[in-house]
Amino acid sequence: MARVGVFVCHCGTNIAGVVNIPEVLEAAEKMPMVVSATDNKYSCSEPGQASIREAIIENNLNRVIVAACSPRMHEITFRRALASAGLNPYLLEMANIREQCSWVHSDNKEIATNKAIEIIKMAVAKVIRHEPLYPRQVGITKRALVIGGGITGIQTALDIANAGYGVVLVEREPSIGGRMAQLDKTFPTLDCSACILTPKMVDLSQHPKIKLMTYAEVKKVTGFIGNFEVEILHKAKKVDHLKCIGCGICWQKCPEKVPSEFDLGLGKRTAIYIPFAQAVPPKPVIDLSHCRYTKYLTWVATGQEGKKPPECRICEKLCPTAAIAWDQEEQLFTEKFGTIVVATGYQTYDYSHYKEYGSRDFADVITGLQLERLMSASGPTGGEVTRLSDGSHPKTVAFVCCVGSRDQQRGRPYCSKVCCMYTAKQAIMLKEHDPEVQCYIFYIDVRAGGKDFEEFYLRAIDEAGVIYIKGRPSKIYQDGKKLIVLGEDTLMGRPVEIPVDLVVLATGMEPSAGADELARNLNISYDTYNFMVEAHPKLRPVETHTDGIFVAGACVGPRDIPECVAQGSAAAAKVAALFSQDTLTTEPLIAVVNQARCIGCLLCVTICPFKAVDYQTTQDGRLIAATNESLCKGCGLCIAACRPKAIDLRGFTNQQILDEVAGLWL
Amino acid sequence: MIEEIRNKAKELLETKTVDCVIGYEPATDNLTSRPVFIYEPSQVNRLIFDETCVHNLSKYLINRRYKPTGIVAKPCDTRGINLLLNEKQLRRENLFIIGVVCSGIRKVRFNQIENSMPTKCQYCSQHTPVIYDFLVGEPVTEAPTHNYSDITEIENMSPAQRKAFWSEHFDRCIRCYGCRQVCAGCYCYECFGDELDPLWVGIRIAPGENWVWNTVRAFHLSARCIACGECEHICPVNIPLMLVNRKLEKDTLHLFDFEPGIDTEIVPPFATYKKEDKLGTGE
Repeated sequence: MARVGVFVCHCGTNIAGVVNIPEVLEAAEKMPMVVSATDNKYSCSEPGQASIREAIIENNLNRVIVAACSPRMHEITFRRALASAGLNPYLLEMANIREQCSWVHSDNKEIATNKAIEIIKMAVAKVIRHEPLYPRQVGITKRALVIGGGITGIQTALDIANAGYGVVLVEREPSIGGRMAQLDKTFPTLDCSACILTPKMVDLSQHPKIKLMTYAEVKKVTGFIGNFEVEILHKAKKVDHLKCIGCGICWQKCPEKVPSEFDLGLGKRTAIYIPFAQAVPPKPVIDLSHCRYTKYLTWVATGQEGKKPPECRICEKLCPTAAIAWDQEEQLFTEKFGTIVVATGYQTYDYSHYKEYGSRDFADVITGLQLERLMSASGPTGGEVTRLSDGSHPKTVAFVCCVGSRDQQRGRPYCSKVCCMYTAKQAIMLKEHDPEVQCYIFYIDVRAGGKDFEEFYLRAIDEAGVIYIKGRPSKIYQDGKKLIVLGEDTLMGRPVEIPVDLVVLATGMEPSAGADELARNLNISYDTYNFMVEAHPKLRPVETHTDGIFVAGACVGPRDIPECVAQGSAAAAKVAALFSQDTLTTEPLIAVVNQARCIGCLLCVTICPFKAVDYQTTQDGRLIAATNESLCKGCGLCIAACRPKAIDLRGFTNQQILDEVAGLWL
Repeated sequence: MIEEIRNKAKELLETKTVDCVIGYEPATDNLTSRPVFIYEPSQVNRLIFDETCVHNLSKYLINRRYKPTGIVAKPCDTRGINLLLNEKQLRRENLFIIGVVCSGIRKVRFNQIENSMPTKCQYCSQHTPVIYDFLVGEPVTEAPTHNYSDITEIENMSPAQRKAFWSEHFDRCIRCYGCRQVCAGCYCYECFGDELDPLWVGIRIAPGENWVWNTVRAFHLSARCIACGECEHICPVNIPLMLVNRKLEKDTLHLFDFEPGIDTEIVPPFATYKKEDKLGTGE
């Protein structure tokens, strides 16, 4: 026989100011199976909890209703109070008479009081059917996977490894370093980007706890927090990195030159290559789509049609350690991890949709990231900023902000956050490179929110003499050797037409290609732009809704370097906190399948967003669903989808919900 | 046409490809037809196919899911087979489908065949089976079209009018559950209508409970009803159930571009998410 205790909370005046508490208590006392109904000024306070504990013992209660705030606020607090009084914590039911009653009905106290009574009535009907539930313990594999080897991933991996746990870092490019390696200087301090990044890259490669997997991709993820199984595809490098000493003779002598991805097509690399001089690992891979020997092999395999390509193999002949391995194939390895950190970063917006800016037709219209490569001492021009069309030094430069950001027509309404600062930085740097340069910056708003950002922006105006023009240019066109930027100075209210030598488009950030596919593989949410979605934007910024999977850096949204580093460390702290335990406790409020009733349509398997439902085959050949207790989050989707009602959610059973509804009429 | 069916059935039974062929035979009134299970090659001459073969035989496959079975199937019935395959109720390797091209069947009343077609055939343009191993008749190449004029009529009613319209029909329901028994999509071991713990539908035959039964039945068939019309055909109190079914069919088609039973492998719209999916009302 259930003995229900009802505890009505005043929540100061939050509830008591609207709801007539004595009336509620009077009504609650008369409800079925209710033994006691008392009120508290603040139930969540220590005296409030003590009174609940005492009442449980005194009245021999075995079900408790706390009529107060949302269970999201204090359910755990009150569960603990139950546990300390010797009751199973899951025999608690919260009746939300604050958010769902007093706050929204403050204009009509009578109705609010009636509603509070009805909410408690429903809770009584439900709590009677509560059963004791017990959490379960599962083991943890204390090894983390970090996806993405940019600054965020590097920081995460280093921090986890320094906490003493093993880390595998997977990077799809041949080297780690990411976007930060491509930058020349960083705002607002004008540190050399490579100088502060490369020591971290080296630390990472030499760390005994970190296993680096470059030129590899995550293909499939199964399992759950503490016990993920991840399939990692190692792409064919065609170079045995155990033998290779990174002497560099192969990439110096390789005759096939192709545009370098690292230099954004501005420079050339060879078919066997490392992306940049400080690459980690400093060992090359062969780009099979361009390698001459591969082309020769394809020619042989496809029936020797057309002209015979040269049977090059120069790298193989020159390699002092015979490290070239033509028989190396791509390989799929399955590894076990306890947690996964996603740090896949960003790419810059492809501005070919901007027809008014030439859609990549003008040689002297470049992107901000391309200018970084031109300004970098290790870049294709050795740090000299020259025009791509004729190699001359530009004297007037126009920057266009918000290309692919804050533009609803192009489906990119968000602010990319870093462009205001990086254009200011680039303008300052151009002035330093060549004092004769005059820069114009077309902007919508200058967003300089950050430590020393505003000062940096003023420095661009005061020291570098940059002219800021508020307005988005309407057109860029070629006129002889000059580019004409046509726009409107909206502050002056007049059209402007500026002939310049070089136009730099501050292209915005978007998630790396394939981010959505990875998110689907990992079963984490992503938004319409394919940015990963965090569990809570303020309070859980690096967690996802899938336990054990964390997100950090620019894959979640536009971030600058300090934020990415902070997020990387934050994710690492979360991982370390998780690994400091030996077992994990799983929530018992999960879906369970009544296998006798299951018809095996397996709709639940398809519908489960957490891959928590799998199926089994019974002895008589029937298919039946089965839930995984560690993966299930108790979201209830499968229950809604199940026609024969074979699945029930513990703590929210069909019977309980029906009773709750029926309770309203009793 | 009938000869083709008989020959194929004979061949299947003789070669032991299947143990049984489910088809139609003349009913005892010498006017209509009824389902028949043929186990012996010598019996195949009982098989017929004509404008009175209204029954959707795919339901019978569920009980024979582990046994090799042949079936004579109209286009709507083949959609039922696809639905059952999609929901893992049947195994394709145990099935031999003799698909029959169908241009519609006739309404059958007691002791007479009417000249008109039942609702399902009036609006149907799927004349070729969607899945078959052996096809009888010339396949129709033109793509099926959709006509929902009857549904639009109901949609244009005011909510009050609509409620009155359906009340008149549902109040009449005697909850014999015949609509469930014939439905190829209704194969739960324990239907929510029979369940006692918890009790979803009260046992009384009363308007409120009838509404619950008819609405939940419809929701359980949304994006699943294959429009074979058996529920309406069998209903002893003539509730126009096809109106409910076709409204669901129209909505799933327009919101999710989905037609149940057309494809064996496709993931049903309620189990997946596509960016193109529409929200429904208010758009």
